[in-house]
Amino acid sequence: MKVKVDPERCQGHTLCAMIAPKVFELDEVDGHSSPISEDVPADQEAQVAEAVRSCPEQAISISGGAA
Amino acid sequence: MSTEEFLDDAERKKNRFHFDRHTPEYRQQFEAVTQEMQAKCPIAWSDTYDGHWVASGNREVFELARSAEYLSNDHDVNNERRGYKGITIPTPESMKIQGGFLEMDPPEQRHYRQVLNPYLSPAAVSRWVPVVEELVRASLDEKIETGQIDFVDDLANIVPAVLTLAMMGIPLKHWTIYCEPAHASVYTPPDSPDMPRVREGQMGMYQDLFAQLAAIREHPRPGLMDALARADINGKTPPDMELLGVMALIIGGGFDTTTALTTHALEWMSEHPDQRERLSRERDTLLDPATEEFLRFYCPAPGDGRTIAADCEIAGVQFKEGERLWLSWAMANRDPSVFDNPHEIDLARTGNRHHSFGLGIHRCIGSNVARMVFKRMVTAVLDRMPDYQCDPAGAVHYETIGVIQGMQHLPATFTLGPRVGPGLDETIETLQRVCDEQRLAEPVTVRKAKAEIVH
Repeated sequence: MKVKVDPERCQGHTLCAMIAPKVFELDEVDGHSSPISEDVPADQEAQVAEAVRSCPEQAISISGGAA
Repeated sequence: MSTEEFLDDAERKKNRFHFDRHTPEYRQQFEAVTQEMQAKCPIAWSDTYDGHWVASGNREVFELARSAEYLSNDHDVNNERRGYKGITIPTPESMKIQGGFLEMDPPEQRHYRQVLNPYLSPAAVSRWVPVVEELVRASLDEKIETGQIDFVDDLANIVPAVLTLAMMGIPLKHWTIYCEPAHASVYTPPDSPDMPRVREGQMGMYQDLFAQLAAIREHPRPGLMDALARADINGKTPPDMELLGVMALIIGGGFDTTTALTTHALEWMSEHPDQRERLSRERDTLLDPATEEFLRFYCPAPGDGRTIAADCEIAGVQFKEGERLWLSWAMANRDPSVFDNPHEIDLARTGNRHHSFGLGIHRCIGSNVARMVFKRMVTAVLDRMPDYQCDPAGAVHYETIGVIQGMQHLPATFTLGPRVGPGLDETIETLQRVCDEQRLAEPVTVRKAKAEIVH
């Protein structure tokens, strides 16, 4: 599974990093999110799918692997 | 699209609903109104307040809020641009002050946020946790030996107020100048006989803000005020009245909203003691989703106004330039197409993409502060007053939820316990020294370390 955060859509709600702190990191200055790595570790796929569902701006997308 | 393609007004506004969120009936019938509007007219035209659109459906609110190119937040108080009225419907008659960057459009809006973000990001906010824990500890210690507390007056009004002033760089002991007026100006109806006194308190607050701004310009000390005093906004130094609007926005956003969220959550847990025990027991996994669920359900700031800035069609409705629009975060949060059993609280809810901090470029800039302060207050109550019982007869909710869904009083009793530290006044003195010596209110770009409480 690969994950992307659209920087134009992300507004720094931080829910993704709360749900999947091993996958998303937040910018120190504005709190906007980006994936630590595009490749999602297998044991994090469920959390990433939940982050996708929970993003208020619908800024996260995944490809490949189970959603 | 060109305007020739526009339907006539009767056709454009055919989905009508008499929507008046400033009445007590709207608060009492919130669920029924929400269900009816979402089923019949997720975007409705209401004739109230000179006429305005109301968006209540989740998809509709989402699409509208994120269409920044067609929506304006501008409050043009001096009629220098297009005369737009900002985010409040109806426009308040009392004071003509632009409501900070929440009543601005980019690029100025973006410049202000860039100035303030390094003080309010998750990394910046986490530095304040020890200060907040100490404030909560002292607030509870004031009452812990009596077995009685008012969660509004004795806890949830105090902590956000003192922290907000600390982050701004205002002396902490001034919190009493700000606290009462900041709440009373929200919950007092305009025609109340108490209004002159509330206005007087508000003037006192503004006077102190101007005095602090002048003092910080002369003798700089770190904090949000210092950042504003030095701010370059789109190549200009903003006039003081504009800065006053920004400071009032920080206070309005920082005080009453977190109070509202915390007290509603505490009231609900008193009514659901099994859920309270569960949250306390499973807090490691449950505190984050429960916080989002209380945010979704109690939505302290229930909505925002906008002005349509250009003719457009969004979510199947044609809007015309200059028309007013109410985006209801609170109603969008109850849409069954996104939230199962939307009118029930589920502490472990998943997929909770609520809109309580707004959406798009105006997302609440203090959201990280709000969450942190809420969590510290609630967990401390769970630890030190685990069997508290709120007194329904003494609980006072704001009569209307047109501006803030808040509480004025929430008395409770509990099995008394031992004090563990100094009282509030002494603690505030200690924390002032800690703020000054460790320069806690610096932006995270300058200071990264957490506060250390040294008595």
